Amino acid sequence: MKPPQALMPIARAAELIASGHYLSIAGDEAALRQLPLGNWIGGTIPYFMGADGGTSSCEQVFVSEIGGFSTPPQLRFYDAATLPQICRNAPDNGYSILILPAFSAIHASFARQAPNYEEMYLKPLIGWVAGVHLDALGQLAPKVVLGSTGEFSAQHAVVMDVALPADKFAQIDIVNLFRPGTGSSITFFDTGFSAGACQINGKPGNLADYLVEHGIDRRLPLVADYSGAMINVSIKHIDPATQRVEFYAPVFPGLEYRIAAPLGDYLAEFKAALPQLEREISFSCNCILNYLYSELEGKRTGQVIGPMTFGEIGYQLLNQTLVYLSVTE
Amino acid sequence: MKPEEVLRQALEIDAPWQIVRMRNDLGKGQIDLWVARESGRSGWFFGARAEVGHGHEQVWRHINIGNARCLVHAVPPDDNDQAGLQWLGEAEQPFSRALARQIAGMFMEGITFQAICSLLDIPVADLWKFKHSLDNGKAGLSGQRTTASEPAGSGVPEASDPVWERLLDGTINIEIRVLSLKLLLTKLREQFSIITDGEVRLLKTHEMQRYFVRHEKLLGHELAQLARL
Repeated sequence: MKPPQALMPIARAAELIASGHYLSIAGDEAALRQLPLGNWIGGTIPYFMGADGGTSSCEQVFVSEIGGFSTPPQLRFYDAATLPQICRNAPDNGYSILILPAFSAIHASFARQAPNYEEMYLKPLIGWVAGVHLDALGQLAPKVVLGSTGEFSAQHAVVMDVALPADKFAQIDIVNLFRPGTGSSITFFDTGFSAGACQINGKPGNLADYLVEHGIDRRLPLVADYSGAMINVSIKHIDPATQRVEFYAPVFPGLEYRIAAPLGDYLAEFKAALPQLEREISFSCNCILNYLYSELEGKRTGQVIGPMTFGEIGYQLLNQTLVYLSVTE
Repeated sequence: MKPEEVLRQALEIDAPWQIVRMRNDLGKGQIDLWVARESGRSGWFFGARAEVGHGHEQVWRHINIGNARCLVHAVPPDDNDQAGLQWLGEAEQPFSRALARQIAGMFMEGITFQAICSLLDIPVADLWKFKHSLDNGKAGLSGQRTTASEPAGSGVPEASDPVWERLLDGTINIEIRVLSLKLLLTKLREQFSIITDGEVRLLKTHEMQRYFVRHEKLLGHELAQLARL
């Protein structure tokens, strides 16, 4: 069977668009701008895990073909005011693909508020955070694209709602190799993309001080146990002077975090953790930090491929996590 | 019965409280009522004279009068005198207790935010504020039970089954294979741990049960564990 996901030349993606397919596309902005109008949504990112291994490319785009729907998928932009309605607007049976531009207000708003959106967790929501080539950080803004109009936006979210027939249902799952380590438990007072003061083993402390004093490798995320799902918050920057730590996703009060235990061989552990699925993966993405920290360029991670992104969405914002969607009868 | 008494009864404004003033020109499709305590003497508006309360006047959206929004203006009485006053709202909350109960019942029926806003003519922002307060234990539903419940699927315990409360308060734990349930249960348990109001806790157990009804075919592993408890 033809894979529903593949890294391909821009011209091949253009052919698929021209033939009317519904597509979710990841690629460098210059590559996406060469694509014709059609039934697609997209986001900027030049890093991919393809069938031949991890790669960075401006000449290829990663295409996820959307099939098996009961009615034509709906494509639309959301702004920060309307995004909280994303789950309510989603089909009763189906799923939604969401792409957000990194470093935007809508990215921050989603990260903080998504768990409280109406009908969150009731309808499958998967997606990723668009980024840029690391050499262009601070020079180019990550963008999302509504292919039906050709509009690019650094402020909006783009969404594809896919309705499924009654005999099929969508499932989202994650592969996260990180597990809470044996170090201190850390809890926070507020929701935020940065923190200083916190509780460490139930006593007042400062996270920046703790990380520095214990020589913590900042490539190791904070991990919280969500009833068996390990959810990471990746560390972006530690500033000892201001005693603040910045994150790639918000920390939440009421959850107990620990610094992750170090990984051994990422590739070997990743392959061992991959799901043995009989059904096809319809959509998947992995984190740019896994790509960088585990040096995945040129290395293959098995059957699960996709863009390497600035954040993953499995209902809510995730970090350093593989997210995938499959459709079951 | 006089028309004004019917109105008082419909809006649950009982003696010694009375409507002392009413306007219908402050907003389109809107009726504003001022409520104060009777002093016992013959009064200016609906009979008895009203006592002037001490403190700042507050305004809450109350249950609608026909198609018109109803806003109640009042100086809240002392805490000891607030029990049972359904036209009164909590401090900093947009809705009266009666309207809050009505909305909570709609939540339990699984009616969407948008539908609630449309049916009751409520701004989305006010509904969000109310829901946020409920979820964070900062608002209650003050005693009177809402009766709505989600019809159970064939293998899903009824909403009134104590298993839902035990699942949310952490008395029981089950192995979960479905990501969305892991995330939802974590959120609801965190909310449950800080919510003390019985009605709001009931709202949360209904939310949990509604998830199971909706996803029953995905949750065979989890439902089998609940059935063995």
